[in-house]
Amino acid sequence: MTGMRIVGNVTHLPTTTFGHRTSMWWGTLGYVVIEGSTLLICAVAYVYFRKNFQTWPPERVFRPGLTAAAVQAAIMLLSNWPMVLVDRAARRLDLRAVQRGMVLITVLSIAMCVLRGFEFQALNVRWDSNAYGSAAWAVLTTHAILLLLQTVETIVFTLLLFSPNLEQRDLSAASDNALYWYFMTGSWIPLAAVVFLMPYLV
Amino acid sequence: MKTDELEPGRLPATVDELVPQLEATWHQEPTFLGWLRSVDHKSIATRYIATAFVFFLLAGLEAAAMRAQLSRPENRILGPDAYNQFFTMHGTTMMFLFAVPIMQAVGLYLVPLMIGARNVAFPKLNAYGYWVYLFGGVFLYVMFFLNTGPDAGWFAYVPLSGPAFSPGKRVDVWAQAITFTEIAALVASVELIVTTFKNRAPGMTLNRMPLFVWAMLVQSFMVLFAMPWVATASQFLAMDRLVGTHFFNPVEGGDALLWQHLFWFFGHPEVYIIFIPALGMVSAIVTTFTGRQVLGYSAMVLSMIATGVLGFGLWVHHMFATGLPQMGESFFTASSLMIAIPSGIQIFCWLATIWAGRPRLTVPFLFVAGFVVLFIIGGFTGVMIASVPFDQVVHDTYFIVAHFHYVLIGGAVFPLFGAFYYWFPKITGRQLSERLGRWNFWLFFLGMNVTFFPMHLLGFEGMPRRVYTYLPETGWGDLNLLASAGATMIAFSVLLFLVNVVRALRSGIPAGNDPWGGDTLEWAASSPPRPYNFPIIPVVDGQGPLWRHPVELPGVAGLRTDVREVLVTTLLDAEPDSRHRHPPPTIWPLLAAIGTTILFVTLIFTPWGVVIGMPLLFLAFLGWAWPRGRDHREQVAIEQEVRPAEARP
Repeated sequence: MTGMRIVGNVTHLPTTTFGHRTSMWWGTLGYVVIEGSTLLICAVAYVYFRKNFQTWPPERVFRPGLTAAAVQAAIMLLSNWPMVLVDRAARRLDLRAVQRGMVLITVLSIAMCVLRGFEFQALNVRWDSNAYGSAAWAVLTTHAILLLLQTVETIVFTLLLFSPNLEQRDLSAASDNALYWYFMTGSWIPLAAVVFLMPYLV
Repeated sequence: MKTDELEPGRLPATVDELVPQLEATWHQEPTFLGWLRSVDHKSIATRYIATAFVFFLLAGLEAAAMRAQLSRPENRILGPDAYNQFFTMHGTTMMFLFAVPIMQAVGLYLVPLMIGARNVAFPKLNAYGYWVYLFGGVFLYVMFFLNTGPDAGWFAYVPLSGPAFSPGKRVDVWAQAITFTEIAALVASVELIVTTFKNRAPGMTLNRMPLFVWAMLVQSFMVLFAMPWVATASQFLAMDRLVGTHFFNPVEGGDALLWQHLFWFFGHPEVYIIFIPALGMVSAIVTTFTGRQVLGYSAMVLSMIATGVLGFGLWVHHMFATGLPQMGESFFTASSLMIAIPSGIQIFCWLATIWAGRPRLTVPFLFVAGFVVLFIIGGFTGVMIASVPFDQVVHDTYFIVAHFHYVLIGGAVFPLFGAFYYWFPKITGRQLSERLGRWNFWLFFLGMNVTFFPMHLLGFEGMPRRVYTYLPETGWGDLNLLASAGATMIAFSVLLFLVNVVRALRSGIPAGNDPWGGDTLEWAASSPPRPYNFPIIPVVDGQGPLWRHPVELPGVAGLRTDVREVLVTTLLDAEPDSRHRHPPPTIWPLLAAIGTTILFVTLIFTPWGVVIGMPLLFLAFLGWAWPRGRDHREQVAIEQEVRPAEARP
């Protein structure tokens, strides 16, 4: 070892920080890029297939129903309000408010999973009917996997919030989780527009 | 363990005071279980490098078998079916199990050391990435030995790889093996980006980062944006084959060309994903062995970033023969020519550095010199085939095989071997033999040219790729025999390298901390580095910190030594910002990787794989994340002591 001499002291630095000051926030952003790309690629495939059909949707396929998708989009957008509150509460270490918010988010995410089932039905096409159906199912399924994983994580995380094993840094994780939530719900709006509205427009 | 060793505000009189407790805290049990539980970036990266090198040897043996088969017309060593599997396995292994992983592995070893960090940002995730990679590679080779090796080429073009023309499980094995390696590559890229962003030594602003760290950063961003394309495309392919979707089935509105677009949108950046870390290695070696900083630091960094960006705009030049619109093809010709500009800038920067410095002709430097020659040849043929009319003539011939082997072996494997010789003393504490190294280099350099230069001529004569044999009347026999003789030389040179490694590990000269007189922080650590890398976190005040402070390196103390605490700094200016505790060793990443493997492998055979694999994976991640045990106790102890910072807006 080359010799080293001490020129500074970092003992005064905090051990819990939030947002872009933490490594976890950047890690979460990395996964947002990866999963965002995956969703984008599914949407690209959907749009790419348009040129291979005379009509969109193809002949003998009904247009998708819009009710479930509209309700889903509305809930996803609105769910960001409690999530913003959770994010803010976490940053001021207000555990009670974080707990309340996450219970609400848990209920909402389970509702979203149920609605996703109705959205699949509303596509009015099977994945093995034609390329249109394959791509529509790919978009919905890929996002459904993110939604399902997020729901499971939300349930576990909410349980942790009420458990004696809770650590202060978990509140920072709650704030990072909010970033992922904004992505998960926000990405659905353009995807829903592609899969549910494009058949009415082109 | 005492927790009041270093009270806030109190500093030790000397650095040595800290060492005993750091040793105890960062200790890795020297048992097999301890090895399985390790979360140390050096331990993980070393096994990553070793594993990738084993795959390099396996792919090399496959290449040797192919060269033996092609050494004369109508040879019967490998039949057509075996030959298909061999060239597919060779390409798949070299690209997915060797080239990308080994570059990232070198990065995972060196980046934390070069930036003065104690570990990567997410140690458990790092271990998980390695295990997933290992299991994916082992899975591919087990299936290969069971005669279920992929046989549709490393890029698995549809419709050949689709359900109609490739029944059985061979292509499914390929698609799933890809998924394993993509997960590992993405994990490593996130590790490297976040570590570089948040764990740099105080004072190491972005424009003081070593060029190798820049190279790994650019490469990691490329992985992040490129790998999802092949991962998703291979899942589309798997679904076409397993559940009857029609992504690539033109009869039901699917599109075979979509596969090529998706694959090459990943596949072309892949070349730069392999090549850019090599640029970083070359810069490090040139710096040390010319005794001066590489000329044009900003030009070098901007060139690497430009290469990274332009690399995403070239993919269609792999598809010139598919009948795309001419206007589009012209654009991709232009962008393919344009990428020669940043590569050229870097070559001139290195040449100017060598010209202005005092080069020492050591083995690492020889490999860099070899790189310059071979890469320029590969670059020239690259500019040639960027032109559509020329490409149409040589498409799918041995000219292309010659071109990309010059680029990949010259552009990546030569710098990598240079890097092995350069950093081997750091990793093992022993020097490799220079004499054997020179034999290794010259045999490799000559063998490489004897093998691949004749392939240019074979391509001009019309010899197609991926044929298991040819007729005597073609007149290709002599050049093929010459190429096979060259392959034998390469095999001998790699064998010499292995002998060199074994001899060095058994009786090599002890290296000391800085055997070459390097300028970057890894040379301040001991060889091999201690598990905590540095007793205090170095402070950096310019490029090449070791040349600026040859006697004593300044550093900051105050991180706890009774737990695995690391320093988090700000992104741009690397100002100390917070202290963060890292996890102790744990078995859960391995268990999570086993769960992942069970999920992926069963999915090839039944969709019920989800039902079997997901609960296992869930339990593994629950065990990974749920706070308890020593990890939990340490964290709570810290949190009770220190008040959190208020979040800044």
